[in-house]
Amino acid sequence: MTGLERVLCALGGEPTDRRAFTLTLSLYGARLTGCPVREYFTVPRRYLEGQREVVRLLDPDILFTPFVLPFEALAYGGEEVWLDRFAPNVRKPPFRDPDLAEPLGEGLLLDPGVGYLVEAARLLAGEFGADKPVCAVVTAPVDLPAMLLGIETWLEILLFDPERAAALMDLSEDHFLRLTAALFDAGATFVACPVMFANLRLVTPGLLEKSILPALARCFGLCRGPVVFHHGGNRIEDHLHHYAGLPNVPGFVMDPRDSLSRARGILGPGRLILGNLSGPALLRTAPEEARALSSEILAERAGDRAFILASGHADVPFDTNPDTLLAVRQAVLDAGAVS
Amino acid sequence: MTGGNTTDIEKLKEDLFSLMLDAEREGAVAMLLGFARGRGFQAAVNDLLEPVLQRVGEDWSRERISLAQGYVAGKIAEDVLLAAASSHGDLRLDVKGPVILGNVEDDYHSLGRKMVGVFLRAAGWKIVDLGNDVSPAAFVDAALEHGARVIGVSAMMLTTAENIRAVRAELDARGLSGRIRLAVGGAVFKLRPELVREVGGDGTAASAIQAPPLFDRLWTGEPEGEGA
Repeated sequence: MTGLERVLCALGGEPTDRRAFTLTLSLYGARLTGCPVREYFTVPRRYLEGQREVVRLLDPDILFTPFVLPFEALAYGGEEVWLDRFAPNVRKPPFRDPDLAEPLGEGLLLDPGVGYLVEAARLLAGEFGADKPVCAVVTAPVDLPAMLLGIETWLEILLFDPERAAALMDLSEDHFLRLTAALFDAGATFVACPVMFANLRLVTPGLLEKSILPALARCFGLCRGPVVFHHGGNRIEDHLHHYAGLPNVPGFVMDPRDSLSRARGILGPGRLILGNLSGPALLRTAPEEARALSSEILAERAGDRAFILASGHADVPFDTNPDTLLAVRQAVLDAGAVS
Repeated sequence: MTGGNTTDIEKLKEDLFSLMLDAEREGAVAMLLGFARGRGFQAAVNDLLEPVLQRVGEDWSRERISLAQGYVAGKIAEDVLLAAASSHGDLRLDVKGPVILGNVEDDYHSLGRKMVGVFLRAAGWKIVDLGNDVSPAAFVDAALEHGARVIGVSAMMLTTAENIRAVRAELDARGLSGRIRLAVGGAVFKLRPELVREVGGDGTAASAIQAPPLFDRLWTGEPEGEGA
């Protein structure tokens, strides 16, 4: 079976020759090819070469487009920061004054960073899309204003300035729909959306119900392809029932601290659950530990056809031991078929 | 306690807590100012605001309430402190410290730092806030200039938290470690508590509201627990 077939089987609740699995190895391709990070994340072909090596090393069932959400914010301005072994980040948000934040419209896709994201998706889908789902990682529409203005300003606006919040949500919706449409046109199979500002560890229940969920429902519902809801760095098990009704969301990436069986209880049998290894923690995980941890998760979900072993949180760190990654794969092979 | 019927106070505390959780900033501030008009700002802070902030802090550290609710609590405290300062009333501000606050070099995520500043001010600390992207030398120079015994350094991400090592190195190089203590905080320290020691921090707090007791301990030179 191909990765695509395995993932489709998981979606349909059907048996497979083995459990589908993936690790978020966007940055890791640079390590495998020895390409300088700056070149890797500016030249789409370098990214493709890195992902070829990811496939050669691990052959995961799902591949990821560049995990560089800051490029979306940097399309509006601001300062970037590049470090040797990390993806670039936003050093300074583009706007101090929220009134200066204007939608880019068609200009969004002309930005070099956003153009890189779309072109890398096109190359990846062109080479691997027939056999492996290509997942494009995009900023949640409710989180983009935090990247444009800073967390504090966005929180302040959400809490105390509903008119301005609505205007920024409109900007985000336009951004999200344009970018995801371009990514799907480029061949992405689905998008994964890490969502922070829908978590009740960040926002109030009132904000979630009145502003956040309606905005997400609108954006996800209008999105041209499926959206996988990613936990965004916080546990979501307690709040999963709020998100379960969002349209066009076939699956959820759970936090490593979440209970997968509880998540299954909340979501019911039909929805895809991905998790719940911690990508960043693999840096400090010995191969034998990674294998044991993966085996434990796989054993716990043995009867769950709609489960995919995956890493959550952020990208797998640059310096992670490749043997640790191979140990995860070995655990998948050891677990055998999904009957 | 500085006065008032215990039952009334308990009811007011409960109401104030609910207003904070519902993000009802104006209602909460109106309640506190009404209380201050009758009994003074010192009582409003000591008997009402501080105990409720403490409860918010405990719930926050246990992840029972959200960042937004903690933020609203900070805004309410800030509003009341501003009103107290402009009224030249009985509230004793700036009775402790001063201490230095700032975001470490290359860090522009000011939310946590500002919230720590508000809660420290509410607890009577005088704050010298250096803002974002502060160099190690600027932190130490400011501490010496103001006679501060604690520097609070904020960093949100792992990449910028690493820059705190340079603040520790600056203190070491000038022979000030032990005399000036280093409080560190930010989202990354919640995910990786071991980072506090790794970057040279003397202590951290689970939430901004819990910063005042940390600064009390660091100011008096009390040892912090492992990873604290």
